[in-house]
Amino acid sequence: MLLQLNKIFKWVNVGGSRTFLLRDINLTVQQGEFISIMGPSGSGKSTLLHIIGMLDDADEGEYVFADQNVFKLKEKQRSQLYKQHIGFVFQAYHLIDELTVYENIETPLIYQDMKGSERKAVVADILDRFGIVGKKDLFPSQLSGGQQQLVGIARALASNPKVILADEPTGNLNSKQGEEIMELFKKLNKEDGVTIIQVTHSEKNASYGSRTIHLLDGRVDQIVNS
Amino acid sequence: MILSYLQIAWRNIVKNKLYSSINIVGLATGIATCLIIMLFVNQELGYDRYNEKADRIVRVTFQGNVQGEKMNESTVMPPVAQTLKADFPEVEAATRIRDYGKPNLIYKDKSFKEDAFAFVDSNFFRVFTLPLIAGNSKTALVEPNTIVITKAFAKKYFGNDDPMGKIINFQDGNFSPFKVTGLIDRVPVNSHFQFEVFASMSGLPEAAKPSWTSSNFYTYLVLPVGYDYKRLETKLSKVVEKYIGPQMQQALGMTMAQFKAGGNRLGLVLQPLTAIHLHADFANDLSPSGDIRYIYIFCAIAIFMLLIACINFINLSTAGASKRAREVGIRKVLGSSKTELVWQFLTESTLITAIALLMAIGFVYLAIPFFNQLASQNLTLNFTENLFLVPGLFLFMLTIGILAGAYPAFFLSSFKPVAVLKGKLTSGNQSVGIRSSLVVFQFLISIILIFSTTVVFNQLSYIQHKKLGYDKEQVIILPAYLLGKNSEIFRQQLQNDPRVSNVSRSGFLPAGPSNNNNFFVSPGNNSTQLIKTLRYDVDENYIPVLGIKILSGRNFFTDFSSDSSGVIINETAARAFGWKNNATGKTLTTSLNKGEKKTYTILGVVKDFHFKSLHERISPLVMVLAPDPGMLIVKLKPGDTGEFLTSLKTKWTKLTAEEPLSYSFLDDRYYRTYESEQKAGQILGIFSGLTIFVACLGLFGLATFTAEQRKKEIGIRKVLGASIAGIVNLISIDFLKLVLVAFIIASPLAWYIMNQWLENFAYRMVISWWLFAWSAAVAMLIALITVSFQAIKAALANPVKSLRTE
Ligand SMILES: Nc1ncnc2c1ncn2[C@@H]1O[C@H](COP(=O)(O)OP(=O)(O)OP(=O)(O)O)[C@@H](O)[C@H]1O
Ligand SMILES: [Mg+2]
Repeated sequence: MLLQLNKIFKWVNVGGSRTFLLRDINLTVQQGEFISIMGPSGSGKSTLLHIIGMLDDADEGEYVFADQNVFKLKEKQRSQLYKQHIGFVFQAYHLIDELTVYENIETPLIYQDMKGSERKAVVADILDRFGIVGKKDLFPSQLSGGQQQLVGIARALASNPKVILADEPTGNLNSKQGEEIMELFKKLNKEDGVTIIQVTHSEKNASYGSRTIHLLDGRVDQIVNS
Repeated sequence: MILSYLQIAWRNIVKNKLYSSINIVGLATGIATCLIIMLFVNQELGYDRYNEKADRIVRVTFQGNVQGEKMNESTVMPPVAQTLKADFPEVEAATRIRDYGKPNLIYKDKSFKEDAFAFVDSNFFRVFTLPLIAGNSKTALVEPNTIVITKAFAKKYFGNDDPMGKIINFQDGNFSPFKVTGLIDRVPVNSHFQFEVFASMSGLPEAAKPSWTSSNFYTYLVLPVGYDYKRLETKLSKVVEKYIGPQMQQALGMTMAQFKAGGNRLGLVLQPLTAIHLHADFANDLSPSGDIRYIYIFCAIAIFMLLIACINFINLSTAGASKRAREVGIRKVLGSSKTELVWQFLTESTLITAIALLMAIGFVYLAIPFFNQLASQNLTLNFTENLFLVPGLFLFMLTIGILAGAYPAFFLSSFKPVAVLKGKLTSGNQSVGIRSSLVVFQFLISIILIFSTTVVFNQLSYIQHKKLGYDKEQVIILPAYLLGKNSEIFRQQLQNDPRVSNVSRSGFLPAGPSNNNNFFVSPGNNSTQLIKTLRYDVDENYIPVLGIKILSGRNFFTDFSSDSSGVIINETAARAFGWKNNATGKTLTTSLNKGEKKTYTILGVVKDFHFKSLHERISPLVMVLAPDPGMLIVKLKPGDTGEFLTSLKTKWTKLTAEEPLSYSFLDDRYYRTYESEQKAGQILGIFSGLTIFVACLGLFGLATFTAEQRKKEIGIRKVLGASIAGIVNLISIDFLKLVLVAFIIASPLAWYIMNQWLENFAYRMVISWWLFAWSAAVAMLIALITVSFQAIKAALANPVKSLRTE
């Protein structure tokens, strides 16, 4: 078991009354799974993903990741856990505009205090795997959307995480580019055993996963295994 | 890590060219100002510190208070040095300087007049640290008629010849020739005395006189290490009673006890050598003294300039936070800790500071000659001579980098990644309050500076237009004593010149350097009421030449031999003596030496005129008929002065072959009295200009941000039909409000500060409301121009364009 969510609740207080963003979410994810999360806009998909990614806290419930109780960890330990095991991919790519492709991929490794020589090797390897060696000195603004997302995924993979969390990774891409990204995910999942949890609006993309979780108003509506 | 921080910092600087330049130029201006002021303060505080015994040397001064009139003399009587050395074992050494002005010195065919000449005791070079390059510091000045000279002096008179043993003559033949027995490099610039020639005191008869009534000797004592000079000072009152008392009784006609009973004080006061330059206020000091208050003011300006530049950085960084927030969010998602981000931002601010520092050093090199000229200084920025500057500046850079970068670093690095990535964070809105306060602070300082500059210049103009009670226009002062016995012929010629209205003979001048004579008198025969006045020796033309108004009585008549025991007094004197309009005909008594008395009759009373600078109140003045043909005060009729001066030169050169004509205009002498205020005013003006410039840079940056952020809003408003004026108003009004708040806070502060400054003048302008209005208007106008540039640009932008980019 990679991670487990037990009775997760999240709410905000708006004008005195409590609005639930997530209600009673229970979810267990095994190492090597490929999970898709679907649901209408505002149903809480991103919120759930941020909690899994430890960027956000829940108000109630328990979260176990790699046998550690996440909500009970100190900030330092949590950030350590997170740095080692989790990679994020965003709809808007979120590359750092001031850094080159190479440097963007290198950044998470710097924060893991990896030595310079080792870093070089890792980045070179990733650039090679993604076939973007020729683009390493370009800045994000010089790339197409698909290429940017490719770099985004490369960056998420650089630190060799156990799980990749992707929030509508193809949302800003045309269908051909989107398909390429999904194929890449599939390959990573199959060949490298990387766990993938993705949020998507497209049934087709969701079908790449082995399990689809449907959210409605912050609740798990249904879980479909394919 | 640091390398990658530097790289990112550099890219950010290059990418945001406008904001980076604003930050860099602002910081560079602030740092350059600060550096120049630091050099200046360092020099001023370092005065006389070159002496190894600097902390142990004190100067003996003579201070007192006679009937409310202050006496402040930096010189004391000839026997003081010897007496204190003999009577007090803690005085390890005593040495004296007798300033002898700039006599004409001759060597063979060479003659110059510009070298400062002093007689000093033979132990002088063992008290002050002025190493002899040639000669023996112990014996060089033991013999009479020996001199120690500076290298520059030697070069001028003897060229490349060995100066030792050379003979120098006095032109006027007062002294036998002097032999050079020692050579020093030069007197350091930051020494309170500046002489080219030091002559042996043993050749000066005056130095050996046991007189306790005349004081011409600057006297210095060396005290033991760690000895508090105040302890010695308390013992000095005995010296006054023992030595000065008896001679004073002869001179003033009253005993010390009577003198003290009248509420008067006289005494020897010690002054640490290192305090002479900044803390002394003596009319007859060896060099123009600095003023500790200006040091404080300049230090304050330096600090405020730096703060204002740092504020620009803080404001622009936090206002632009939304631009950096995304980066912060992503970095956190990628695993960065807050600490790492703080370091990254600090690296950035330090890099900007480093660039600014380099630029500032360039500025300083360019500005130093200008500043030196303006402030009559000798500053240099010399890295090879002052190696401490390198680590010093490095530390300085780090400090400013942190000062400017700390708040933005913590502010930016505390963004929550979720909020940022969801796009919830719109702008640096959280810090608007802080930003506004900082802008208020910047303009507060700017307004205070504008106001101060205005007040200084107004006071100067007040001085210029003040009715002085005498007429300073068209009056030329001529040192006729230079002509020797021909001076009387010269005077006759001037008196007969049709362009000359009148000529007076007196060395007592109402403006600029003048003779000065304390004069203790008693009204009537009442010898218990002793009043300190000044005695002006004048002739019968003095009052008409200077256009002084006679209120009652009459001027001197030359042909009345009895007028030699008549005096004319000013209104203040009449009041001090207790007389009203009936002064004429009354008498004054003064004591001569050996207990004799002399009685004067009041011939007339003149309206008060400002014979002292406007810093001081008009004091009692007694004018006696004692013409001094050595100084001529020439009043010209209206007409061409240039032509007159040419003919003056011809007349002069006919009467003397050696002495060049030197003259001065009375009005020039008057204005020169206020030179230090004039300079302070100019320097203040420049600094306030720079401060406003830096503050406006920041304002410009903020206005640019606002315009950028509200681009969409402005576009929509325009589509809905807003006018350009309306939109300019929309952006500018908030900034102008801040300036207004700054003005309201600044006004009482500025008023208080400038009132303090004006206290230095006994006669001063009143601070009126329009000075405030003027300062406010200047600040507003500058702010408005700065802001509206961006506002107008935003208002004129095509709304379709700005909306489409969304
Ligand atoms: N701080 C907040 N205050 C109030 N409501 C919030 C807050 N944060 C999120 N929400 C609400 O929570 C709900 C879930 O948001 P979330 O971003 O998870 O939706 P989503 O399923 O990802 O939608 P989309 O498909 O549009 O991205 C939304 O209705 C949103 O308005
Ligand atoms: Mg979402």
